[in-house]
Amino acid sequence: MSRSLPLAICFIMGLLMVIQFFIPHPLSQSFFDLTLKWIRIIAAFALILGVRSVSLRHYEQIKRKKGEWGFSVVTLITLIATAIIGLVFGVGAKSYLRLIFSNVLVPLGATMFSILAFYMASAAYRAFRARTKEATLLLIASFIVMLGMVPIGTALHPKLSDLAEWLLSVPNMAAKRGIMFGVALGVIATSLKIILGIERGWLGGKR
Amino acid sequence: MNISPEIWTWLSALLTLFIFSFLYGDNPLYRFAEHLYVGVSVGYTIAITWHNFFYPDLIVPLFKEGKVIYIIPLLLGVLYLSIFFPKVSWLMRIPMGFVLGYGSGVAIPAILQANVIKQIQGSLLTPAILQRTDLLLWGIISLIGVISTIIYFFFSWEQRGAIKSIAGLGIIFLMVGFGASFGYTVMARVSLLLGRVQFLLRDWLGVIR
Amino acid sequence: MNFWERIGKIDRRFIFLVMAVAIILPLIRPLGLVGRVGKRTQELFKAIDGLKEGSYLFISIDFDPQSMPELYPMYLSILRHAFSRNLRVIVSGLWITGVGLGEEGLKTVAPEYNKTYGKDYVFLGWKPGITAVVLGIGRSMKETFPTDYYGTPYDSLPIFQGDITYKDIPFMISLSAGLPGYETWIAYAQTRFGIRVGAGVTAVSAADAYPYLSTGQLTGLLGGMKAAAEYEFLIEKAGMTSAFKPASQLMDSQSLAHLIIIILVLIGNISYFALRRKR
Repeated sequence: MSRSLPLAICFIMGLLMVIQFFIPHPLSQSFFDLTLKWIRIIAAFALILGVRSVSLRHYEQIKRKKGEWGFSVVTLITLIATAIIGLVFGVGAKSYLRLIFSNVLVPLGATMFSILAFYMASAAYRAFRARTKEATLLLIASFIVMLGMVPIGTALHPKLSDLAEWLLSVPNMAAKRGIMFGVALGVIATSLKIILGIERGWLGGKR
Repeated sequence: MNISPEIWTWLSALLTLFIFSFLYGDNPLYRFAEHLYVGVSVGYTIAITWHNFFYPDLIVPLFKEGKVIYIIPLLLGVLYLSIFFPKVSWLMRIPMGFVLGYGSGVAIPAILQANVIKQIQGSLLTPAILQRTDLLLWGIISLIGVISTIIYFFFSWEQRGAIKSIAGLGIIFLMVGFGASFGYTVMARVSLLLGRVQFLLRDWLGVIR
Repeated sequence: MNFWERIGKIDRRFIFLVMAVAIILPLIRPLGLVGRVGKRTQELFKAIDGLKEGSYLFISIDFDPQSMPELYPMYLSILRHAFSRNLRVIVSGLWITGVGLGEEGLKTVAPEYNKTYGKDYVFLGWKPGITAVVLGIGRSMKETFPTDYYGTPYDSLPIFQGDITYKDIPFMISLSAGLPGYETWIAYAQTRFGIRVGAGVTAVSAADAYPYLSTGQLTGLLGGMKAAAEYEFLIEKAGMTSAFKPASQLMDSQSLAHLIIIILVLIGNISYFALRRKR
């Protein structure tokens, strides 16, 4: 029951959603509308699991005073404080939440990935070697795009940007399309496996 | 130089520099900023979810407008909370089954249409393409590229003889594709850095306009 | 250590310094490099420019602050274009942490064109469910967004004359940093409801969008900050704005940084091959 009921629900829902795509009858459309509404509500509750996961992890660190538990205190306090400020004072144009978003979340988020530029330059210098013909081809293609897609490419040669655009539109497009087929068929296969109950990893534990 | 007098700009700049300090080495300032980011983004998510969704789309219709039908998805959603009670935590699988079944079901026709059928259509040499020499040439190259790339990834057959040659051609197209992606990735990472440097020099220090 | 060994083992802090100089110097002393507007940027510009006055334009904010430097300038430029063409702009998003950026963009640009909230543009915020939202708009915008971001009921917003769906929206743009993003809108909204989709993407995923451009599933593409700068140029050239162009200011630094990285890779390879030959 603990496994067969969810599997049955998954099967029925999956089958109905696939069939529904092909049936324009008003009953089918009403079922579709109802499902969409319900899914939005159920999906929102799943967010609670995410919040629980983050909170629990940091709470355990604080409880056991393990590792850098002091920073976990920072996480939990700011989590609770931001949530309360947002819940109590709202999300309007002049809200405190908006101030927190613009002056804390934005600079931190925007800067997080920006330091990668330095590491990427260092890594490219150290590791990007034209050891084989394939690697050389990769290198040449990357140079053409790196120069062709910025103004310096036009300054170096007026046709460089055209070459870069051709490279992106023809050979790159062909390769990406081939990869896309593979990924798409993989997604379809996995979706079928989930619906048919062949893929059961999502059920979790033994019970 | 025209340094900003605004306290919020200074806070943003300080947090930016805390993250940049990682370039020197892992340090408490960076760790603090990292943990602050996690806490604030989760708190922000909670607030937005309540104001943008739970209140207007569930609380109001169910409790203020009396639309009783909303009890069913509410109960299904509440079953997620059974994770807090180990003895009945299996109940969580019910809404999961519902959502996964829905997600898998809508994905199949959508992905098939958008990423398989349409892409096959795009690979074909249509009469419009046959009318222009350059389009025809690029179309043939693309078609060869697509087929050879797919054959490269077909591991069910042993790759030897003609199959190996075609797969080898596929590798060439893949290398060009990955090279293009790498070139663009370099651009992306540099752009992100430029954005932050622009903020520091323009909005905070006022060195540039 | 001989010369070839030395140039193959440059300290990474020196590389960081060179990168920093390459980025900061052109900001203080611009090089004045002039680029060309790409074909894909022009396609997107023409698509929006070709919309009739008063048409709806739907913009989906599918990115978060981590991708802001690339996608936010695109967003501002597209808004300026849309408002100068008197389009009715609807903004929403599939990424919860992008919601604030969506709002901020509207607050920055709308006053430049004296646009009124609720009449000329509306911000619908975020809803959970991703595909359920994308598909839901195709059935009913009102059911999917019963209120806007600020809690105003759908029927109280004069921008909406009755319940609308994709049939009423001639064009939409997804500004995406990944999944869910433009691929989601193409697979679910376009496949089932036939809406035309344009995209602005981070440079990381720009190369992956070309199969969709080739089939016409995507109408126009802004790939990375360079494309954002191109769009800024186009709207300024068309007399739609004289606002500061953040992406354009950074193009000299972008160019120099790319050149430095290419030189570093070449130096690394020269050192590698020289040492290999020596052995």
